[in-house]
Amino acid sequence: MSATSSALIELLDVSKIYATEAGEFPALRGINLAINAGEFFGIVGKSGAGKSTLLNMITGVDHLTSGEVLIRAGRDVSVHHLSENDLALWRGRTMGVIYQSFQLLPMLTLLENILLPMDLCGLYRPRESRRRAMELLELVEIPEHANKLPAYISGGQQQRVAIARALANDPPILVADEPTGSLDSVTADHIFDVFEKLVTRGKTIVMVTHDTGLMPRFNRHLVLSEGEIIS
Amino acid sequence: MKPRWRKVLSDLWDNKTRTLLVVFSIAVGVFSIGVISGAYVIIKNDMSASYAANHPANIELRMEDFDRDFLTSVQNAPDIESAVGRRIFAIRARPVNSTQWAALDIVAVDDFKKNDINLLTPISGAPLPGKREVVVEKKVLKEFQVAVGEDLVFELSDGSTQTLKVVGIVQDPTTGADDFLAPPFVYVTMSTLPTLRQPDAFNRVYATVDSGKNDEAHIRNVSADLVSRIEKNGKDVSRSRIALTNEHPLASTVNAILGILMALGILIVFLSSSLIANTLAALLNQHLRHIGVMKLIGGRANQIFGMYLVLILAFGLLALLIAVPAGGQGAYGLALFIADKLGFSLLGYRIVPMAFIIQIAIGVLVPLLAGFAPVIEGSRITVLSAISGEAGRETAGKPTPGAKRESRWEHFQVRAAQALLRRGIHLPRPLLISLRNTFRRRNRLILTLFTLTMGGAIFIAVFNVRTTLFDYMDNVGHYFVADVTLDFEKPYRLSEIENVARQVPGVVDVEGWAFATAEVLFPDGSVAENLTVLAPPAGSKMVDAQPVAGRWVQAGDTKQIALTEGILRSFPNLKPGDLLTVKTNGRTDHWQVVGFFKFIDREGLIAYGTYDYFSREANLANRSVSFRVVTDTHDQPYQRALSEALDQHFRASSYKLRQARPGLSALDNATESLDILVIFLLIMAVLTAVVGAMGLTGTMSMNVLERTREIGIMRAIGAGDGEIIRMVIVEGMVIGSLSWLLGLALSVPFTYLLSTIVSLAVFETPITVVFTPLGYFIWLGLVVVLSALASVVPARNAARLTIREVLAYE
Repeated sequence: MSATSSALIELLDVSKIYATEAGEFPALRGINLAINAGEFFGIVGKSGAGKSTLLNMITGVDHLTSGEVLIRAGRDVSVHHLSENDLALWRGRTMGVIYQSFQLLPMLTLLENILLPMDLCGLYRPRESRRRAMELLELVEIPEHANKLPAYISGGQQQRVAIARALANDPPILVADEPTGSLDSVTADHIFDVFEKLVTRGKTIVMVTHDTGLMPRFNRHLVLSEGEIIS
Repeated sequence: MKPRWRKVLSDLWDNKTRTLLVVFSIAVGVFSIGVISGAYVIIKNDMSASYAANHPANIELRMEDFDRDFLTSVQNAPDIESAVGRRIFAIRARPVNSTQWAALDIVAVDDFKKNDINLLTPISGAPLPGKREVVVEKKVLKEFQVAVGEDLVFELSDGSTQTLKVVGIVQDPTTGADDFLAPPFVYVTMSTLPTLRQPDAFNRVYATVDSGKNDEAHIRNVSADLVSRIEKNGKDVSRSRIALTNEHPLASTVNAILGILMALGILIVFLSSSLIANTLAALLNQHLRHIGVMKLIGGRANQIFGMYLVLILAFGLLALLIAVPAGGQGAYGLALFIADKLGFSLLGYRIVPMAFIIQIAIGVLVPLLAGFAPVIEGSRITVLSAISGEAGRETAGKPTPGAKRESRWEHFQVRAAQALLRRGIHLPRPLLISLRNTFRRRNRLILTLFTLTMGGAIFIAVFNVRTTLFDYMDNVGHYFVADVTLDFEKPYRLSEIENVARQVPGVVDVEGWAFATAEVLFPDGSVAENLTVLAPPAGSKMVDAQPVAGRWVQAGDTKQIALTEGILRSFPNLKPGDLLTVKTNGRTDHWQVVGFFKFIDREGLIAYGTYDYFSREANLANRSVSFRVVTDTHDQPYQRALSEALDQHFRASSYKLRQARPGLSALDNATESLDILVIFLLIMAVLTAVVGAMGLTGTMSMNVLERTREIGIMRAIGAGDGEIIRMVIVEGMVIGSLSWLLGLALSVPFTYLLSTIVSLAVFETPITVVFTPLGYFIWLGLVVVLSALASVVPARNAARLTIREVLAYE
């Protein structure tokens, strides 16, 4: 897979080495990758292959050892050259991140969870934020639960809220780390439907999964093993 | 409300136990500072204001009897604004329906309406007495109950009695203000004196100066000049005392004691701040995932920092809501208590702005300062550390996959357990878990131990200080060996009184003592100190002298005296062997100091000389007006009974006895006032212990919360409720016991520090520190109970968790 300069997400020779008691552990070895706008891109691999590490490189959640990650959303940004504070704001506006464990704040209602990124990034006025949050809940088809706490809805519904929250600031990119990993197959299917709907609306989605059976549902994918792209 | 502030509100409201813990720990510190600073300001202001409002005398002279013409000459003396004459004498009185006599001082005033010095504050009934009437100072009510309109029986010097009606109760904040152990006063007009078999003559001068009422040097000069004029007119002044108008004579002592309490209050704030820091660190730790999520979705460090600062501010404001009103009430209560003990009035309940500001500053700033480090650390954490939970572990650093290296402490624990096992000592597994759990969160453990140890050390130190003070009083008691003191109206031969006294069963020994009064002079001739010389016979059995420097007086001494250390206030470089210039019986003399001893100085200093010399000087060789009696039993009830018996016996034998006093009564009064001080110290010690216990409760709650998953696993593999509870409680008790051991060591310097400060404030001299095991054992019992109690709620919570809840726990 070759890097192209027009790609929305571009990884140039990205390596990540962890120092452990047992010596150096290379989690990623010279990854080159380009993901275009509007793609539903899959990163597939077994446990320990480096999938989540690769995702963390894209989101800037973890630091790389060498290489560069470029994101061309509005303006060109070299992710790992941003300060921690600038990165947080940039990420909040540019990327929506979804985790397997949903990571909703338990003390906030579903609506408030979706409002939080808009509050923190300051892109929308309060009234507009509220209208937008309700629209997002309708998009993920759970508007009736808006004022419930996360503990009182199912896992699938929580993941829908996590997706809605990821879309709160209308980012061009969604990054999902095993988003269906803790869901039953029917619910997982519904989540995929949501993702596909978002792709048709122009969002770029990068999703990590260990489930090779999901590969056909991506526009494009790569398979990672021991920190290297093998296909 | 914006979602982030909704989160702050939820953090405040959802975990009520944690919120209450933090709020109360802030409130305890704010409350104690509020009470003490408020009381300090109220007393500082009202004590002197109440004193000044009653026109206190700047000069008080005790002298031989004088008449109104002589008083006029005093009134006309230079720099004297006003002068009044009074007659003050000791008497015994009782209510009509009681047989119990109480020692009082009668104050006779010529014309109460014209009197403009040492004014009385009416409390009930008539403000002034008429002829054959009395007005009593409210302290009298502590001796016996008497109401306005009732009669009091007074015992006269000839043994007869007179009954006078009480027409009013007053407060006298000025007369005897420097001696709160003085007998209570009863006020009569001079026209009542014949009824009490007293001459129509004054024996005190109370005067105010016409300028410089708060200039000590000026008043001292005016006093010296006045004394000199009086003595030139052939009258002896036995004692002079000066006082400033706007400063209560005991202000510095009270302020020093409040200063000690303030220091303890600051310590409580300090301890509660470590508790706040501990709790906030744990809170941030529990919130790491929230912080990670917020950063992931666009939250910046300053936003997160701001959210948690607002949370801390909310804790502080809630604490202020509790502590400020309670502190205000407590401050007034404490001030009222002290005012009542020292006999002055307060100007009324009020909020002290200074205390209010200090409380708000502490309530807001201390939590902010204590929480600053954990909050800044939490807000700066990286998303990866927060989401993965790596930063929540004690050994937080860069997240590193792979096996961690065993720490030296973990290595030691494992090796220690193995070594015990090899010696056949098998620690039960739950106990082993408790012991290991204790040391898992070492920073938290250190903060908890610090708080509990400080609380314990202060608690123990207060008990040691109490013992030190009472030991000092016991030592003072060596100078009060006599069980009964007999004072006569006129001198009697020593052998005669001894023979009569021995006729009363229980009397073992009788000594006649000589007395002298003198003024110690500075080199410029001004009065430095008033001195009373007690002169027992050589080899007296009534004094168990323990000089701290030099020697005691001995047979053959003439102008040699042993002196209390109080003299060092005026002459810091005085040594045994040095000469003091004194004025006695109207002439200047030089007395040699042979040694120093420790004593409580009241109304001047005490010195001891020899009977032979001082009785000769007073032309009373082989005679005396004051006798000391030793009885076969020495407790206070027996002393009181025997003084009654001696009183009746001498009066029945037609001796002119003025009074028979039980020996320990003065000492008991002094001990009672020390008890009050100790009670205040103990209250502060208990508050520090409470803060320590709250710290432990918080720590145990946090430990249990963080180990929820582990507890679930233990339950899944067979641990019952009892084992879970036991493990948590044992952990708490291990922490409590460790703090006790550390407290043992820390209590030693605390005891020395506290004893020195208290003794300097109360006795104006450092005293020998004495340790008592009592405080150590009480604190051991208390810390074990507190530790168990502090762990019970978290332990019960842990035991209540079901496996399902635990597995659902994030």
